[in-house]
Order: sequence, then structure tokens, then C-alpha cells
Amino acid sequence: MYETMTISVIVNGTAYTCEVAPHVTLLDFLRDTLDLKGAKECCAVGECGACTLKVAGETVNSCLFLAVEADGCEIETIEGVAQGDTLSPVQDAFLTCGAVQCGFCIPGMVMSAEDLMAQNGAPSETEVREALSGNLCRCGGYNRMFDAVNVASGHAEEVKMQTGHADTGATVGTNAVRAGGVNRVTGHQAFVADLEIDGMVHLKLVTLNAARAEIISIDIAAACAVPGVLDVITAADLPDPMPRFGPVFKDRPIMADGETQYHGEPVAVVAAEDKDIAAYAASLVKVDYETLPAVTDFAAALAPDAPLVQPNAEARSNILKARDYGWGDVDSVNAALVVDNRYSFPMVTHFAIEPHGFIVSAKPDGMTIWSPVQHPYLLQKIMAELFDHPLSAVRVLAADPGGGFGGKQNPKFEPLVAYASLRLGRPCRLILTLEETFQAVRRAAADVHIRTGFAQDGEILFQDIKSDYLIGAYVDIAERVMTKGNYLGCGPYRVKNARVHARAVLSHTTPSTAFRGFGTPQINWAVESQIDAGARALGLDGLNIRLRNLAGRGDEVVKGDFPADGDWPASVKMAAEMVGWTDPLPEGRGRGIAVGVKSGATTGLSNSTVRLLADGSVIVYAGTSDMGQGARTIFAQLAADAFGAPLDRVSVVMGDTSVVPFDLQTSASRSTVFMGTALTRACEDIQRQVLELACETSGLSEADIAVGNGTIQIAGEFHSIFDFVQQSLGKWNGELVGTGRMRKPTDPEHALGGTPAFFEFNCTAFEVEVDEATGEILIHKHVTVGDVGKALNPLQVEMQDEGAAIMGLGHSVMEQIIMDDEGRIKNLGAIDYRIVTTKDMPLSMKTGMVENQDGPGPYGSKGVSEGAILCTAPALAAAVAQATGAVVHDLPLSPERLWAALQSK
Amino acid sequence: MKPFQYSCPASLQEASEGLIHAIGDVRLLAGGTDLTVGLRHGHFQADTVLDLKRVVEMKPKITASQNEIVLSGFVAMTAIAQSDLINRHFQALAEAADVVGSRQIRNRATLIGNICNASPAADTVPVLAACGASVDIFGPQGARSMPVTAFIQGNRKIALAVGELVTAVRLPFKNGQTGTAFGRITRRRGVDLATVNLCCHIGATGLATFAFGAASPRPLVVTDTSGMLCDPNTTEDQIDAVIDGMVAQAKPISDVRASADYRVAMLKVLATRALATALQRQREALADV
Repeated sequence: MYETMTISVIVNGTAYTCEVAPHVTLLDFLRDTLDLKGAKECCAVGECGACTLKVAGETVNSCLFLAVEADGCEIETIEGVAQGDTLSPVQDAFLTCGAVQCGFCIPGMVMSAEDLMAQNGAPSETEVREALSGNLCRCGGYNRMFDAVNVASGHAEEVKMQTGHADTGATVGTNAVRAGGVNRVTGHQAFVADLEIDGMVHLKLVTLNAARAEIISIDIAAACAVPGVLDVITAADLPDPMPRFGPVFKDRPIMADGETQYHGEPVAVVAAEDKDIAAYAASLVKVDYETLPAVTDFAAALAPDAPLVQPNAEARSNILKARDYGWGDVDSVNAALVVDNRYSFPMVTHFAIEPHGFIVSAKPDGMTIWSPVQHPYLLQKIMAELFDHPLSAVRVLAADPGGGFGGKQNPKFEPLVAYASLRLGRPCRLILTLEETFQAVRRAAADVHIRTGFAQDGEILFQDIKSDYLIGAYVDIAERVMTKGNYLGCGPYRVKNARVHARAVLSHTTPSTAFRGFGTPQINWAVESQIDAGARALGLDGLNIRLRNLAGRGDEVVKGDFPADGDWPASVKMAAEMVGWTDPLPEGRGRGIAVGVKSGATTGLSNSTVRLLADGSVIVYAGTSDMGQGARTIFAQLAADAFGAPLDRVSVVMGDTSVVPFDLQTSASRSTVFMGTALTRACEDIQRQVLELACETSGLSEADIAVGNGTIQIAGEFHSIFDFVQQSLGKWNGELVGTGRMRKPTDPEHALGGTPAFFEFNCTAFEVEVDEATGEILIHKHVTVGDVGKALNPLQVEMQDEGAAIMGLGHSVMEQIIMDDEGRIKNLGAIDYRIVTTKDMPLSMKTGMVENQDGPGPYGSKGVSEGAILCTAPALAAAVAQATGAVVHDLPLSPERLWAALQSK
Repeated sequence: MKPFQYSCPASLQEASEGLIHAIGDVRLLAGGTDLTVGLRHGHFQADTVLDLKRVVEMKPKITASQNEIVLSGFVAMTAIAQSDLINRHFQALAEAADVVGSRQIRNRATLIGNICNASPAADTVPVLAACGASVDIFGPQGARSMPVTAFIQGNRKIALAVGELVTAVRLPFKNGQTGTAFGRITRRRGVDLATVNLCCHIGATGLATFAFGAASPRPLVVTDTSGMLCDPNTTEDQIDAVIDGMVAQAKPISDVRASADYRVAMLKVLATRALATALQRQREALADV
């Protein structure tokens, strides 16, 4: 297809002489030619560092390095860091310190950390932050990476890999080492882009430099003429009418249907023998189009004469749905103070370091789909419906996502890839660029107009909220985001009178979807900022006014609904203590504190199957996706303790719909509670069979035998179930299989379809100082405390909490999607869309947790993955307001925005 | 990325001939940190990429003579940031080199590449412009030299004729008599492109010169010919007024990174801070001689 050159390289000590085309990057050469898949591609512009490796002793971004340039060089990759099974000190410390979540950034991060250690065996904190700043981690493992480097360099005490409690051997409540962690620090974890399927065709989307446009004609001749191009598929090649799909609303076409509705919606797809050819050919597809008026902000979308984003018989405007909640009588309240403000929250994007990717091998009678999807069973259902297959003929192999954060919940281009695969008769693969990933999904922007009435003592007398969420051209799950976020719009308070009018407004923009916090960070930015506005006006303290109004255990936060299920004031007091709320405030600094509450999952079914094998080892089947939150580890801990088995004898099978029973989804921090309960019940099912076995083998009656907590007590003597089955199960010649499920049925009367299974409550506090000349914020302290029920793995709770906190910091100070007047995104990709780097980390970040074993999950646990993102922005803004006197109502609180606010102070 | 031909000339002569005889679009490759991105995104077209890293004369070298420091060949940012010579005499250049991208980028990105890429937001260019640096150019008509300020003609435009290559950068200096400081504003603390940047250079004659980056299509150099900025008797208000006058010459644009208003305001903040730092450094340098 193109000329190649011969190069010789030495990779991890092995010499290779290979043919490679000049345009092929070193990253692709290593991955595709040498099959070294450890280095990853994310941004492809040298910003994220996922592709970091060493050439001639120096770290480089291998995405910006041509393979031919490396001719004659020695190359070190992540695969060469460990010596056999022995991890390097850096790799080991990354695992034991909790630096590893999804793992997609980790190979590059480890390479940078190794380089730092090689250059400087005793780096300072500043040097560590500098050295790792070219590697982005979206799970927010930075704090733990700093620890890990300190441990590896001998600055901090070594942390032992934990496999269980020293006395009992129980793993619950310990920092049990992450399941799958070793593969992640060694570069061996296979993400979807790392999979090689025989005969695979590479696809590339063709998109327009326009938001809304009428497609007049598409000329594919030049693209088809490129050697290696197999096909160019346009809407004309797809079924008519164009199939549409979605998790709730079936409105998303497989490909733009005559008209694009947002910037980046594909109008054609090129299929080729390799990805470079596909990308090049896609640039040659000539599309004749006419740009149409697009509504891309609230004002335009809500204008009386606005073009309708989804014109249909019922649509009268771009307001997809409006919801009204409330209680009491807002209008009759006599408040000492009414604070009336408008707040905005920008569109932001998930920016998982793993871009979206899809592989489908479709045949007329069924298909296999490889996708890092958070909801494999939803994908299975949607594909079965679209292609008229029985569910059993659609197999989803859900590779662990390299970060999800809600962005990977719902199907996107799997249907398009399946049509291509059917047409070509070969497996097809579409790996999006980071830019295309930005154009696939995002978080809804919000515009919140809010009036809050206070009594003189700070009691909240009413909340009167008008809340608009700007959703995209197709609904995805955005209507639910608006609904669920605003249902708890008044926050974790006892509010006597409330009126919430919330709307989901369609626009010609990227479809908005679930994103960590699921609609709460937007409304909570406004509501919590109002509390501080009230406090300032009344001369009250930000902590006291919150404690004055906060719901105590059993208090309702929504009239007539599920009451507060934790000791929330304890979290607030702990956060205040941690930030030093009552300490004298250093000159020029400010402190802020805020709270947030999110409804956990409301409905759904999770099933689990557990097999206890004759040698005591355990296989757990759980349909959860482990996208970095660590579900696999938690499940392994629960099963290990149920049988008294060592952690390394438990394996957890996930992500294969043909083997693993149905789970509704991986979202809303539900998995510990829902799947954890299901698998605990499956283990209990097995324990009953163990009892039966024990009766048979011992000749005793059930009354003389006790089974539970991983042990079996026979005639007064304790054995672990693990030991017992090894001795006794042989007589049954097989294994024990248990099933369990947790189901929370739908309540059609409830506004959310069901009460929350639990609340996620968090309190966040900051101490900051501001460079008033530039508007730059320096964060001295950032603390978060969650009400977690029970920390099954405290380290993992902290990792989730810090990850959410760092992500919250992103949308608080730097993240925003910026569009031009025609709705084209101007900051696509990693160069101009900013997320937090190691150097943007607070000088100190600490996490606390309140444990009262009061959750519905195993051991009284609750979900914990979102709390710390709920109230980052208002806490930070309150701290900034105290430090400077400038009050900002619009996010992000970028240096420029803060500077502007300071000018007009 | 569109497929292209690749060649790896061994000498300047060969490279120059390669440029002249290339068929179609030809692009020069140094560190590749800008070129590869440009090719991938279709901002640059290339039928041929000439990789100059194996050109014998382009071997990186930093040398000092009585009155200049010469950075010849492809000196990478990491080497500049770590160079004792540069840190001693042109601290601003070390500072600028040290904030270009990440460590991975700095290991590859070269000073000559940064100049020839001619991005208005380039970090090293304001330093070179303020310090009166020039580039050495090799070409079919022989070698020539020109000031960096003239060499960069506009956004992504440089004064190279067909067959010409930049081979070295020269920084004039008088031992122990200059003070320099670099400053920039970014949207975040970690790896970022400059919203604005600048260099303040206090020369041996006691005049302060500023070069502003990301403030115009090419580096804007302004000198305080009044000498007031370096006069210890000048009041803060007077300094303000002089800097206001200098910053007023910048005509930045509003774009995805910042508004023009913010850029102008930040140039003033940076200029004031960089002036103080550069004066301090000059005092230290004089004391050190």
C-alpha cells in the first residue's frame, strides 16, 4: 500500500529488524508490529503521556516519534520494567499506595516515574509533580502517585501489599491489593484497542466542520481510490428508514440522516486495511453540505422562533421535558433575607484517558461486540433489537474500560460498526481519537436561576429554583440526568418550602449523558453558592449555617421521601476539623466549605453466580464493569471472606454476556451495594449447601453445625469453609454453585421510579490564596469527607474520593467546552481543553470518611464514587470569595474569570 | 496520517539539495513535537519529510566565546534548561526552555525547531528576541545570519529561501552585565501553551528591553529608551506609566485561550514582575564578576 523502510531497533534488550512505513509512529510500530501494547494512545498530540517510553535513555511521547527516527536506537517500554515476575520498586509502590485505578495512564506514568528515579533518586515534592506533569490521569490517582514515588525513593515507609487482616485473615476493611493491578502496572492489561481480532478491518468516521448541516452529496471516489481502502459507507448504504436507538429515547441515528445535528456527527465511514489508510482516505471524502442555523446555547434554543432540534408531531419547542417538584408554599413565606442569583455551569467532557473504541464481528445470525461499555447488557439489548437477533445471539465482551465516569454507559457507534462488519463480512474496529471522543458525549451545561429565603438566624425558609439543563441533539440519558439531579435540588437540608422547575433543553450540540454526579454538580453549584451568599449577607459562618440546616439521620430532604440515612453532620464536622476551620486564617487566605448529596441507584436488578470449587478456589461471576472504581477487588474480598479463602484463590469474571448473568448497569455508584449484595447472597446460597455437605459427611444434624463468616463450626470445632470443602467436597465429586440477586423494583408513583437505595453525602472544604493580579488560585488545602457506611477497602474509598475531588477541581477551575457561533467546538482535544495535571494539585489533599455501617450494602456499605465531585466548586468559590471578596457565579473559576471579577469588585 | 517519503541526509549540503530537489511538499523534521501533530491533523502537508537529526553539522553543542553564546545544531529544551552556561548568562532562556511542554516534549523539542515553527506563543522566541539573538542560515547561496526578530515574519512564517536551513542560534552578551527574566501566564500550572509570555532583558547599557509573545503575529520588542526602568530613583508610579506605554503597543487577539483584555493586563503584570527579577539578576551578575 505504501513504501516501507528497514529499521533496526533494540527493544527491552531484544534486537529487531523490521519493515515500517515512514509515517508510522513509534507507538504504532511497537503496538502493531512488535505487539507490545503497553504504551497507549489517547491524545496523539503529546499532552497526555499515555504513550511515554524511553528512546536512547530519554523519555519521549512515542505518538510524536516516527518509527524510522528510532532506527539504530535502544528502546525501553513498560514491558521491560519488571524483571520477570518481580515488579520494580516504582511499580510495587504504585500498587500498594493505591495509585492504580483504571490503569490506562499507568504504563506511561510508570515510565515517567522510573525516569525521575533514574535521574534523581531523592526527588522533592515539587520535582515529583514536575516530572509527572506530562502524564494525565483522569481517575485522579495523583496524590497516590506522589506517595508511591516517595515510597520508591525511600522518602516514605514501604507499604506492604495487603491480602487480609493479620489476625483473622479477613479482607474486608483492609487495603487489599487491587485485583488486576499487576497487569496494569506492567502494561499487560488488555483494553479494547489492544485486542487483535483476526481479519479486522479499520474504520474511520467522516465528519463535517459544521454543527447542523444539510448533506447535499458525498463524493467517495477519491477515498475509494486509495490502495487499502475497502469501502466507504454512507447513509445511503444503511437501511431506510435510518435505524435509531438510545437507552430511553430511540432518537439517535446510526449515522447522520440527511442532516447533521451536531459538530462531529458522522456522515460516512471509511473501511480500510489499516488505520492510517482509513484516516487518510476519510480526509479525501468530499461532502457537499449547506450549513443550517444551529441552536447551541440556552438563549438560541429557547428563542420563540428557534428551529426545533427534534421536530415531531408533539414538539412545540426545544424543551424536551420539564419537571416540577416541591412542597410547602414558597410564595407565602416571609423571609428576613431573599438571595436571588443566576448561576451557570459549562459543558464539560469526560476525558477518560482511554478514548472510546468498538469492535464488532457481525454475521447474519448473530454478533460479538467488544466494547468498554459500562452497561454491557443494555448494549446487548439494543443491538438485539436493532438487528432482530435473540439476546442469546448477541455476545458482548466488555473489556475493562480505561476510565468511564458515565461517558461509556450507553451504546454509541457499536451499531454503525456492526453494519460495516455485516457489509464487509469481516470484524470491524473503530477506535475514536480523543477529539472524536469529545464529540461523542459530554456533561450537560446548566443555567440555574434561584431565589433562597433565609431567616435571620440562617434557617433556609424556601428554595425557589428554575433550572435549565442544555442537553444535546439526541437525548441519550440526559433527561434522567436533569430529573435526578434536580429532584434533590435543595441539597441535604431540611427545607420547609421548595419549588423546583427543571427543564431539559435540546440543542444542536454533542449529546449530553451521564457524568460522575449525574446532574448534581450543576444544581449544587447554584444551591450551595446561595447558602454562602446568605451567610455573607447575614454575617454568619459558612460552617454554622450549614450545620443549622443540615438534615440529621431520619430527617427528610424531600418531603415524604427516603430520609437521611447517615450522620451527615459528623462528616461536616470532620471536614471542618481537617481543614482547620477554626484556626486563625493566614493573611490573604480564604476558606470555604460545602456539602452535597446525590441519590444512589433507585431501581434495578443485579445477579451473581458464585462457584466454590473442590480445591476451595472461588469463581465469582459479576456483570459489573471495572472501570477503575475497583469493583473486582471488592467482589473478590466479599467472596474470599464468605468462604475464609485467601484472596488469591478468588477470581472474578466480568464483561462477557454469554457467561455472566444479567446486571442492569454500572452507574450511580451502585455496584458495591447491588452486585455486592447479589454475590453475598450467592455465597450464602453456597453456605447452605456447605451445611448440607457437612451434615452428610459428619452425620450430625443441622443444629450441631454453624456456617457463616467464612467458617464452619462442626461439633464445636472451627474450620474455614475453604479448608472444609477441600477435605469434604471430593465426596460429592464436583463443586458448589450459588446464585444471588438484588432487585429494587420500580415504583411507578415515585418521581424517580424509586426511592434512593442510599444517599451519597459529601462535605468538601478548601483553604486558598489568590494572586489578585493574575486571578490564579493557589490551593493550600482541599479536604473531602464522605459518609460511606462501611469502607470495605479504605484505600479504594480514598482513591475514589480523591479521584472525584480532582475531577471536581477540573470543572471548578479550568474545564469547559468552547464553541464558536455556529456550534463548532473550538477546543477539541488535549491542547486547549484543560484538565488537572500533577502541578495543578492542591498543596495538600486529604480524604476522611465517616463509617456507621448504616448502608444497604454488604457490612453496611454505601456507594462512594461520586460524593467528592458534588460540592467542589461551591466550596472553592466560597474560599475564593473570603480571600478576595470576589463572588463568581459562572464556572469555571479560571484565572481570567476571577481576574475579571476582581476588576469589577 | 498521509503516507510520505522519508529521508535522512547526512550533511547540510545533502539536506539543502534534498530541499531543492524534493518533489511536492517537503517538511523538515527536528524534534517532531510540532511537525507530527501538524501532519496528523492535516495542518501541514508533506510528500517528503527530511529528518535532519543525522546531519553531522547539526549535532547539538552549546559554546561560549568572549561576546556570544552559540547554540549550534539541534539543542533540545532539556539541554538548554540544564545548561550551566545558559543558566549563568541567559537565565530567561533556561526558564523558557523549562516550561515548553512536558519533560517528554522537552527531551525532543529543539530550539531551532521552536524558532522555525514560528508559533506566536512560542516560549523561547521572546527571550531570543529580547536578547538580540540571531540565527545562522545555511543555503545554496552560502551562509548568512539574521536577527530572530527579522527571521520570524509572522504567524508560522519565516524568512527561509528554498534550500536554506537554520543551523545555529547566537546570543550576544557581555560577561556579567545583563539580567534576564522570563514570565508567562497559562490556564493551568501544568503543561500548557502560553496565554501570553514575555522576556525582560537588562542590557549592559542599562536599558530594559521587553519582548512580548502571544501578543502579536511576531515577537514584539520594545525598549525603554528613557532608561527610567533601570533607574533606581524611578518611583513605582513612574515605572507603571512606562510599562503601560510599552504594553500599549501590544495588540493581542481574543481566542480560545484568553481575551485580548486579559492578555494586555497580564503583559503588564508579567512585565512588572520580570523587570524586578531581571534587575535583581543583573545586580547579582555585576557583583559576581
